Amino acid sequence: MKIKILYTHERVKHPVLSTVILKTGVPLNILEASISPSRGELVVDVPASGDQLKAVIEALKAEGVEVRELGPTIEVDEEKCVLCGACVSPCPTGAITLTMERLEIDEQLCIRCKACVIACPFKALSMASTSWEA
Amino acid sequence: MEARGAETLRTYEEINEKIKRGDAVVMRADEFVEYAKRYGVEKAAKDVDVVTTGTFGAMCSSGAFINFGHTEPPIKMWRCWLNDVPAYKGLAAVDVYLGATAVSETRGIEYGGGHVIEDLVSGREVELRAEGWPTDCYPRQYVETVITLEEVNQAVLVNPRNAYQRYAAATNSTDRILYTYMGTLLPRYGNVMYSGSGELNPLTKDPGYETIGIGTRIFLGGGIGYVIGEGTQHNPKAGMGTLMVRGDLKQMNAKYLRGATIHRYGSTLYVGVGIPIPLINRRVAETAATPDEEIYTEILDYGVPSRSRPIVRRVSYAELKSGRVEVKGETVRASSMSSLPRALEIAETLKRRIEEGEFTLTRPAELLPTVREFKPLEVKRYEPRVKDVMTKRVISAKPADDVKTVARLIVEHGVDHIPIVRSDGRLVGIVTSWDLARALAEGKQTLSEVMTTKVIVAKPEEAVDVVARRLLQYKISGMPVVDEEYRVLGIVTTDDLAKLVKGRRGAP
Ligand code: SF4
Ligand code: SF4
Repeated sequence: MKIKILYTHERVKHPVLSTVILKTGVPLNILEASISPSRGELVVDVPASGDQLKAVIEALKAEGVEVRELGPTIEVDEEKCVLCGACVSPCPTGAITLTMERLEIDEQLCIRCKACVIACPFKALSMASTSWEA
Repeated sequence: MEARGAETLRTYEEINEKIKRGDAVVMRADEFVEYAKRYGVEKAAKDVDVVTTGTFGAMCSSGAFINFGHTEPPIKMWRCWLNDVPAYKGLAAVDVYLGATAVSETRGIEYGGGHVIEDLVSGREVELRAEGWPTDCYPRQYVETVITLEEVNQAVLVNPRNAYQRYAAATNSTDRILYTYMGTLLPRYGNVMYSGSGELNPLTKDPGYETIGIGTRIFLGGGIGYVIGEGTQHNPKAGMGTLMVRGDLKQMNAKYLRGATIHRYGSTLYVGVGIPIPLINRRVAETAATPDEEIYTEILDYGVPSRSRPIVRRVSYAELKSGRVEVKGETVRASSMSSLPRALEIAETLKRRIEEGEFTLTRPAELLPTVREFKPLEVKRYEPRVKDVMTKRVISAKPADDVKTVARLIVEHGVDHIPIVRSDGRLVGIVTSWDLARALAEGKQTLSEVMTTKVIVAKPEEAVDVVARRLLQYKISGMPVVDEEYRVLGIVTTDDLAKLVKGRRGAP
């Protein structure tokens, strides 16, 4: 599960993630980070589900940060996709599979590196927006 | 032996009779492969009249001739743009050739000739801009308007080279990502990219070109097209035949004709081509039955920027299509630049059109040549190589030398780069004046503490512009020149290159 964590300026200095990792024992993995003196924004992969996932989210909220669950990272425009495969083997984690009918992206494996977006000759792939406003 | 193209099993007339009656037996190439495996080629050849093939991939040597019609007053266009993409104007007044790889003067490779062709075929308006060469008969100087495919007189796709019989696959030995026309190649043999549809590939199914030649009616971009001869770089000996084709753009469909942009390479056109192979004799039936397991190509190392890239290994399309390929002892992912699902769809569409009597076969007026030399272009002008411009007197140091001694060398000789070599002359590292400044500041003593051990090098025979590009790529100002054993022969720096440019232009 990928989540986005929004820090407000009071929490920027606190070691939020480490606290949560210690508390829940779930090794959170930071995929994207942008932190400024006034606010911070992290995209984090939580390798957990069910109650454990809930516990992580609760623990984060207890630290005073905002948490949002993220939808699919990479979106496929099926009108544009010609099912070639130019995006498949360049994916460093093997998250993309091409079948005769469609392109499948495994959210669990995706590390948001955008290699596939760059590799597609038809601009059929885009990365879902994760900006502050999203 | 019977002649090439001998119609010993069935003639074109017989096949077309059956198509008209609606009882021709047509199979897609993949179906025919299975059928022949099951019942043997003998029976398959008897039972089946036509095998359909298909491919859908990037075909850079594509483009369209367009005739716009005359304006009032008329113009003799000598420069012309369609959606800001320049079209070739070395033709009559209002004829142009729009090439697939031409790029927009405002948007760059993001939008090219291939995209204009797709826009036209999709029925979208395209902006036409042209400058005239005013004459007594063509007084107009400039025109700006919009056109649609329907409005122009002719729009004919004429592609000098399409439908490669097979294509070499690509991998990358270097330690950085390469962006090539074969797509994204991950470092250290991280993946394999290939192209072509293997057992569905048109020319692969008739490698003796017994049924394909000038006048062969084909599926092209969704409409009807014709082979008009061998394609450029047609290379039968290497199993890399090609086709020159033409077809009326007005009949085509954007599903099978797509503009594309390959990252850091350029724009191109994906073209759908399907060819019916009539099983006129036993040999044709046999080749048409060749399975992916028996269709081979080579994996080349695109990390070597040379005309003759080293072959990493031979590989079958069966292995490529499995998505996993073994390279240098490791299994890596393989994927395709061309679309296999769409190739299959083309073969299927062509099959249906034949079955329904909409598409009949033609006997070629002349078969494709089976002998043709594919020659390289030799550069006959003097071209500087690294060995011609490098500085041969190299100031070097040993790994055990201390930092101060080397700092003195740099000052004394006014150089920026000191290769570090072992006693046998082999390169082990490099230090620059910047490394030394830092070392002194941080109180480091020996060179082995400060030198860079992953040295970017040049070879003496490399062309100067290739090396200049490498300097830029790694943002460095010089590199040692080494032989095969990594012995230092010289050093080539941006200064050496600057001197060369000065010399070439004859500037003061
Ligand atoms: S963003 Fe990177 S990891 Fe995710 S699917 Fe694309 S290439 Fe794979
Ligand atoms: S590279 Fe683009 S067009 Fe090709 S399969 Fe991937 S998303 Fe589809």
